[in-house]
Amino acid sequence: MYPATEPTDDALVAVAAAGDEAAFEALFNRHRRQVARIAGRFFAQREQIEEIIQDAFTKLYFALHTYHGTHEASFKAWLAQITVNACYDQLRRIRRRSEQTLGEFTENETQQFSSQLRVPGSDVETALVSRDLALKLLTRLSAEDRLVLTLLDVEGFSVAEIAEMTNWSVSKVKVRAHRARAHLRRVLRKFV
Amino acid sequence: MFRRNSQKDEDLDRAGKAVLCAAAADEQEIVRAAESAFLFTRIRARIAEQLRENESGGWQSLPLIAWRAIPAMALVASITGGLMLWSGQSANAPGAVNTPVGFGMYEDALADTTNPGLEQTVLSRNNLSREEVFTIVVEHSEREQK
Repeated sequence: MYPATEPTDDALVAVAAAGDEAAFEALFNRHRRQVARIAGRFFAQREQIEEIIQDAFTKLYFALHTYHGTHEASFKAWLAQITVNACYDQLRRIRRRSEQTLGEFTENETQQFSSQLRVPGSDVETALVSRDLALKLLTRLSAEDRLVLTLLDVEGFSVAEIAEMTNWSVSKVKVRAHRARAHLRRVLRKFV
Repeated sequence: MFRRNSQKDEDLDRAGKAVLCAAAADEQEIVRAAESAFLFTRIRARIAEQLRENESGGWQSLPLIAWRAIPAMALVASITGGLMLWSGQSANAPGAVNTPVGFGMYEDALADTTNPGLEQTVLSRNNLSREEVFTIVVEHSEREQK
């Protein structure tokens, strides 16, 4: 918690929107970890997370005048929405780039991955290998599938919260989640 | 059978969650990224660059301009073409009137130079015969030679 003398997020947004750079920097310092944490759910490398932080705060700067906070947590929710959208855009870009080279698993990788999925709780070294294989496997999912599954299963957001973040309808989130889960099951069936 | 299928789906969902979690960054990496040096400076640079682009219009706006200009140009071209066709048809219409352009001459005579209409009009207007015109031209050239 911030001391009572600290200006609220809404007050900082109002001043920053009027062109005060110090207020914008204060918002950045206050919320950069939150943005990094959301980005870290989608991207494993530090450079990728930094890219999302830069993208999200740049978008935030140009959208400051559109913000109308209604309650105390409004700004956090709004920033989360901007960050999730920045992650989604980046996932789509990566997906477009890797469309021709969808990660095919070698026989060795397939065996390794199968054994990792069967044995829960492996050591650090194997877990690092798992990340590479996991990333390779996730290139087979569309950006929408990856987004909705991560927000639902890893972040634990509700369907309504995801709908608000993505500007999708609740029914679209439900349908997308159902299809994404079915797709991931199909992909994993080869390994389990 | 349904129970066995749903058990298998649950196992697959658990495996899927494990894959999604494995693809995420660890806490240390997240903190390092958030605390990275000059991060705010880089954001400021990016904002400044975008502001510059917005002010100059940016080359990225060219396709947008073309996207808007092409239909407008097509519209203008089709209107022009339509007007040309319409004016051509009305001029060739059986009841079309030949407009006088001055000096007792008509548009037809001026427009068609291969047609002797212009010559005929001038001659008939001044009551000169071809021989008289020929004499005038010869005398004029002789005067010039002297």
